Amino acid sequence: MEAHLNRPLDRPRNRWLPASLVLALSLIGATARAEVPGSPARAGLALAAAAATAWAPDAELVYLENDEPLDASGRSPRWGYLFRSATLGRARVWSVRDGRIVTAEDLVLRFDAPPLPAGWLDSDAVLAAAEKAAAQAARREGRGRLLTMLLMRGAESGSDRDATTWTFIYGASGSAAFHVVVDAATGQVKRTWRS
Amino acid sequence: MNPRPLSFRLAPVLVLLFLLGPSVRAQTPRVTPLELTGAKPARESLPTLRFLKGNADFLRTRFELFTPSGRVQGSSARPVDPRFLSYRGLLADIAAAKDSVAASAEARERQAIFASVADLAVLERELDQMERVLAAQQTRLGSLHADFAGRQRTELAVLLTGGALSGRVDSVVVTLEDGTGAVTGLDDTRRRSLKVGGMVEAFRGLVEPREQVIEVRFIGEGWSQVASGFVRIAPTRDRLTFVKLDLSQAAPARGMASVSAGTWRSDAPSPARTTADADQARP
Repeated sequence: MEAHLNRPLDRPRNRWLPASLVLALSLIGATARAEVPGSPARAGLALAAAAATAWAPDAELVYLENDEPLDASGRSPRWGYLFRSATLGRARVWSVRDGRIVTAEDLVLRFDAPPLPAGWLDSDAVLAAAEKAAAQAARREGRGRLLTMLLMRGAESGSDRDATTWTFIYGASGSAAFHVVVDAATGQVKRTWRS
Repeated sequence: MNPRPLSFRLAPVLVLLFLLGPSVRAQTPRVTPLELTGAKPARESLPTLRFLKGNADFLRTRFELFTPSGRVQGSSARPVDPRFLSYRGLLADIAAAKDSVAASAEARERQAIFASVADLAVLERELDQMERVLAAQQTRLGSLHADFAGRQRTELAVLLTGGALSGRVDSVVVTLEDGTGAVTGLDDTRRRSLKVGGMVEAFRGLVEPREQVIEVRFIGEGWSQVASGFVRIAPTRDRLTFVKLDLSQAAPARGMASVSAGTWRSDAPSPARTTADADQARP
């Protein structure tokens, strides 16, 4: 009986094993929570559209951009989707992270952008074209890292003013931003410029 | 005397109970308790559309170059949804086709006998015409279904149950984050019903599928002075989420904390979509 009671003290390592396991699991859990894998822009669109329809039945997507840093494949942990309702005369944005709406707010400033058509290429699909154009520019004058991707209609001038385009904005501290505009329907680079 | 042991005789019953168990459990909603707080809970709000907000003037100049000024300025009249115009057009086409079919039918009635093979060809053409009318009707119903019945519905229903221990609740005010909501009046009949196990629907409507806080307030003798209560909910997309407020232990002196709240979700798709899907195959 006495020997049975003393067994845990005979093997002190076992006493710490559950606590170590709990600690290790909680650390793994915390890491998993903190690092949300990035997703292409379309991943959160259906959820944002569901929220937009509840807000206004005639809500239309007019603009989107990454809300958190982009990775090398055109993915971001969080994307912001801006919808506009013609009947309400207002715009509202939903920011989606990891399949969950984390921010929903009305857009205070006036931004009557035209609605985006349905068939646009996703952020990861168009990145390659932008990277190629940016790489060519980098050879000449440096481009910085990719900071922002935004999708809107009417950003292009000339004969394609109605086209839906992805705009890639590269930047580095102390240098001008480098812009690459890519046709969202074909993936072709329309133009580049530095601001 | 039955030679089999009791456990053998009970075996079929146990098997039946085992099989029925999951279905019974599936029908019973799992109610999760909610906290009704007196202060509005703070909500995490992350910055969004930072580039747009910082460069709005620049972006605006881009699309306003080609946007007609009428769209930007807006007008006092509401624009007509082009879908409604197309429904009317579809219906007019169908009506015209129906007229043609009716005229053909009258002509056919005047002929007592089909005298030749040519008449059979005419009949075949008429049948083709009828098929086209049916196809047009199906197209129209398909458009209606896609635009209305197929629309997602994330819904919230706030239910009230139990009679308050003291005070008298005359109405319930439910307010969503955007300021919309509903006011539901309670008369003597409803109050009596609540005390004997009845339920009252205080709110039912579309909500955004995200975590949000709803505000609940009771108005009536003793309750008008009690501050609002706040409940944090997270409606699931395309599902009906229920929130139940139980007043059976509620008293104005103990505030909104005396109201117990719970939530559960209907795992069936929203009623509108179920009905529409059932009708789609049999328009």
